[in-house]
Amino acid sequence: MTSENGKEHEQEKRSFLLDNGLSLAFGTAFLLALAGQAFAGHAEFNSDLRTDGLAPIGLGDYLASSHFAVDVTENWQSEYLQFFLFVFGTVWLLQRGSPESKEMHKAGPESDKEQRVGRYARADSPRWAATGGWRQALYSRSLGLLMAALFLLSWFAQAVSGAAAYNEQMLRQLQAPVGWGEYVMGADFWSRSLQNWQSELLAVASMAIFSVHLRQRGSPESKPVGAAHTSTGVEG
Amino acid sequence: MRPVRRSAVTAAVLVATGATAFTATGCGAVDGRRDAARAAAVRFEEAVRARDASALCAALAPGTRQELEHSAEAACAASVLEEDLPYGGFDRRVDVHGRQARVVLEKDTLFLSQFPDGWKVVAAGCVPQGGEPYQCTVKGS
Repeated sequence: MTSENGKEHEQEKRSFLLDNGLSLAFGTAFLLALAGQAFAGHAEFNSDLRTDGLAPIGLGDYLASSHFAVDVTENWQSEYLQFFLFVFGTVWLLQRGSPESKEMHKAGPESDKEQRVGRYARADSPRWAATGGWRQALYSRSLGLLMAALFLLSWFAQAVSGAAAYNEQMLRQLQAPVGWGEYVMGADFWSRSLQNWQSELLAVASMAIFSVHLRQRGSPESKPVGAAHTSTGVEG
Repeated sequence: MRPVRRSAVTAAVLVATGATAFTATGCGAVDGRRDAARAAAVRFEEAVRARDASALCAALAPGTRQELEHSAEAACAASVLEEDLPYGGFDRRVDVHGRQARVVLEKDTLFLSQFPDGWKVVAAGCVPQGGEPYQCTVKGS
């Protein structure tokens, strides 16, 4: 009996890992990369402090510093901006032959029947898809809205931590600090933002166009290997 | 793009927690550091007024003291009073960002940095130069 319980438990655990492999693998890789960034950033920051004749700081202090915060959040905001633009943009914008695009005649929010909402909702549809009114309207845009909210939140965090990091650098250079309003209108804030945005936009544009002609066997991000270059909205 | 859809709620919680923690961490300890930087500036100004060379040297950052000794070719205690640092009077404004601070006094401006044994003066006798770095009588290299 105990042995059977143990087997069941083992199977449940394996099933959980299989069911969530993608999220778990990327979540773990994210934490490892963040830890790596923390150690490398700490070493670089202390090297700069020593060069200026200032006292180096511990890892804990570095993790709580505006320097680490701005380096992290400036990347987060651009990732969420990328997904927000991608999720909203692909409602209307199409790319013939790309698996990232819908079929060419489907531009727009599509019909209730196609989207399985209201009276077209099925037994296994999410509850708010079946109900009308604001709940359905909100749920119908929830993914894009979440991405937009995460973008704004992390961009604001970048603006706050960026101003503090910038002013710390100004004081090290014996210069007067600037106010938050001046900072968000200034070159440092926009340079950090735009250098991240351009790379995210390049990645989306590259994926949309490269996936027309190139394939990755077995990946849902690609069309099936044998699919025609002209077939759009087909996933492998 | 689909993986993000599946883990969107988890990501939202992670990001919201992270961003809030960053903001809170940055703001929480500032008051304590501002008070400590102001206290160090006050001690420095008292030493200037009393022409207490050893107290002045103890209040300077190691790099600043080293630069002073290097340029004067004499020990700090023997040369610091030669710099004729002005007595700054009361503090008008204290800016603290991370481990750096600026204390604007009635007649002087000091720049300080946090060291393991407290806040130390990195530059003193500083005069603003518009958008350029302050011109300081005493500073590090």
